[in-house]
Amino acid sequence: MFSDAEVSVFLDELDEKIQVLNDNFLLLEREGDNLQVLQEIFRAAHTIKGSSAIMGYTGMSQLTHEMENLFDKLRQGQLHASNNMIDVLFESLDGLKALRDHITGQGPPVDTEVLVRKLKEFLKRNGESSANDTPAAAPEDPPNGENALGFTEAEEDVIREAQIRGFQAYWISVTVDSECQMKFVRAFLVFETLQKYGEIIKSVPPAEAIQEGEYDAAFQLLFLSQEDTGRIRHLLLTIAEIVDVSVEPVVLGEEQLKVSLEIEPRRVRHEAVEVVERQESSAQQKGDEDSRRQVKTVRIDVQKLDNLMNLVGELVIDRTRLDKFTEVFENRYDSSDLVESLNEISNHLGQLTNDLQEHIMKARMLPIAHVFNRFPRMVRDLAHKLNKEIDFIVEGKGTELDRNVIELISDPLIHLLRNAVGHGVESPEDREAAGKPRKGAIRLKAFHQEGHIIITIEDDGQGLDVKKIRLMAIERGLIDAETAARISEQEVLNFIFMPGFSLARQVTDLSGRGVGMDVVRRQIEQINGTVEMHTVPGQGTKFSIKLPLTLAIIRALMVSSNGQLYAFPLTNVMETIYVSKDEVQRISGSEVIIVRGQVLPIVSLAEAFGEVKIDTQRMFMVIVGLGNQRLGVSVEQLLGEQEIVIKSLGRYLGRIPCISGATILGDGKVALIVDVRGLIQELTKGVAVDEAGYAAG
Amino acid sequence: MAHKAETSGNEEQIVVFELAGQTYGVDIGSVAEIIRMESITKVPRAPEFVEGVINLRGKIIPVIDLRLRFSLPDSGHTGQSRIIIVEIGEMTIGMIVDAVLEVLRIPYDSIEPPPAIVNGVDVIYLRGIVLWERRMIILLNIERILYADEKKTLEQVEFGLEVPA
Repeated sequence: MFSDAEVSVFLDELDEKIQVLNDNFLLLEREGDNLQVLQEIFRAAHTIKGSSAIMGYTGMSQLTHEMENLFDKLRQGQLHASNNMIDVLFESLDGLKALRDHITGQGPPVDTEVLVRKLKEFLKRNGESSANDTPAAAPEDPPNGENALGFTEAEEDVIREAQIRGFQAYWISVTVDSECQMKFVRAFLVFETLQKYGEIIKSVPPAEAIQEGEYDAAFQLLFLSQEDTGRIRHLLLTIAEIVDVSVEPVVLGEEQLKVSLEIEPRRVRHEAVEVVERQESSAQQKGDEDSRRQVKTVRIDVQKLDNLMNLVGELVIDRTRLDKFTEVFENRYDSSDLVESLNEISNHLGQLTNDLQEHIMKARMLPIAHVFNRFPRMVRDLAHKLNKEIDFIVEGKGTELDRNVIELISDPLIHLLRNAVGHGVESPEDREAAGKPRKGAIRLKAFHQEGHIIITIEDDGQGLDVKKIRLMAIERGLIDAETAARISEQEVLNFIFMPGFSLARQVTDLSGRGVGMDVVRRQIEQINGTVEMHTVPGQGTKFSIKLPLTLAIIRALMVSSNGQLYAFPLTNVMETIYVSKDEVQRISGSEVIIVRGQVLPIVSLAEAFGEVKIDTQRMFMVIVGLGNQRLGVSVEQLLGEQEIVIKSLGRYLGRIPCISGATILGDGKVALIVDVRGLIQELTKGVAVDEAGYAAG
Repeated sequence: MAHKAETSGNEEQIVVFELAGQTYGVDIGSVAEIIRMESITKVPRAPEFVEGVINLRGKIIPVIDLRLRFSLPDSGHTGQSRIIIVEIGEMTIGMIVDAVLEVLRIPYDSIEPPPAIVNGVDVIYLRGIVLWERRMIILLNIERILYADEKKTLEQVEFGLEVPA
């Protein structure tokens, strides 16, 4: 049996190849029979076929075998991809995924027979020529080319993969008695026998032809096995009417090695964290080749990276402490040599800590492609289902962010994309009527900006009707008509982030049940992100999601209130102002100030935390924001910005209202982190954003 | 019930401390360390008996005042006050006590089941009463105290959501 490590290597590869198939099927659909695309698909299908057969996943190897056959026809120009065929191919891809899930124990067993039959249909329609075709190897195939041994690149890949797993490739030539009456039976027996001990990945002539008995006296096979030459030979010679067998181990030459090395770094770069550790045993066997393959990557438990990150967090705290200490030292002893040295050490340590932090953060980073890659297929399927024509453009796939963030950002993005397809982009007819091109565009983009990741989803659809939202808000009693007339468009748009607020006229299976936007916002805010929306009626909607690079360390504004220290995450801080007590006004019992003509509700942090508010003539006000909502929070003192390591308050305390965690400061003291979302929610309760109330209604 | 710190078949080590004039004990197996009082960061809106959080070598540990926890009269902290850091499962918390007296080795059979009524402390938080060498030590069940609090905290938070601000 195969070890967990081997299975996991196989699954990693499978995931990679499934992604390759997915991307290229989409390309195939868009661009038609592009030879390069076909080659890619063929190779991916072939690799899966080879490795799944080695691992003993017959269903998967059968399915990919059929796919491979089909692509062989396609790339030789004997067949052309039709929409129907692409649909079946996508179905097969889903079949593969289901098979994978079965292997990982996440899914039920899968019957691939229907899919195999469907794929075969296409081949049959193509005529009876299959016997003369050469499914696996394509000698006339220019870009792929053959090497001296007559293997295609795809085959070499398979051989190499097999060698890594401890299999040897053999080139077997079987000669059958020239008098033999039932050549196909002999051939069948040869195949049967060999398949018990390994995997046949190529044959000349092709397997179908051989098993029909359509060969001359001899046929050749490329066979992967753990058995040795003598044993294989012996096994075959026991079959009647087999007169001669030659078994040659296949050794890939230097040239091929170079090819593989050229491919490897590319793959490595793509994988970032999920890099593949090759097994040790094979390293011993195939020392030279594998030691070169093993380069640069190890597979590492995320937990270990998390621990490292925690340690770096500690170091960051100590660095800050040292900085403070150096300052004190400097003030006390002016600038003696000792102070100079201390300063130097402190600076250097600071630099090192920064570098270390950055590198460990990078080690935890994955390209956002891990999430983005799933979307083109989803958008395609949805667009087909809704009869919409959509150009889906993805940019910035390589943008890297913390894997924790990656895990959590997927769901909100799916929601937003489904909305864009379902409600944003209009039907081709409507678009034409509106004087737009039939094909709508959805653009998904990720990029870095000032220590944050920005993800935007933009469609050129109908946009949102602010008037309609205003009316709906009134209808649902969220606001009264008078308020509705007064509040700004941005505030009106905010209502779509309310639970149960859906603009769809009817409930469809994809959206329109009013779950969605509130979940989107909540999920994004859970990872300290923000989401904003801009819409222009008739021209489209754009969502901008701003995310922190990492969840562990954030920049924060430190303040004091009633002698205690608190941290405001900088993502939520819009600005700080200094206001005098006279500027505070009261509107129906709540305190507000006017900032640049806008009414801003205010609260003192001490009050919000149920403590005594100390009245002063002038006060510092931190203006925090969440989405389009703003709140002024008065504090005693502003203490400046600082990098803080977020720590949980632990299970014992559970969730404390308006506090999202704690951090340890330079002097070892603990400061609490203000949960701006909680604060805003609580203080606007009963005004316009009582979420619990709306959920019920 | 597990007695992690049993030294032999018939002995057990307990940390003995004082609270509002009474002598209490906890199984040493659940005690990670004992520290002096230090500056505690208050956590607003936490349950009343939660004194706050401290930084214990880079970890944030909640600290409860055991007097308040058992609704005993609050008399402020003195130089004798200590924080006993206890660990049960994944939870670590600190408990403020009036003074830590000693670590005792007691024979297992000196532990009597808790009486129906003990002055002040709810019987469900007790493991038993130690009557040994003319002393009486009330043994606490730390596990019950922690998990009951955890449940209570959650309930409070949920309850808090229902109440208009």
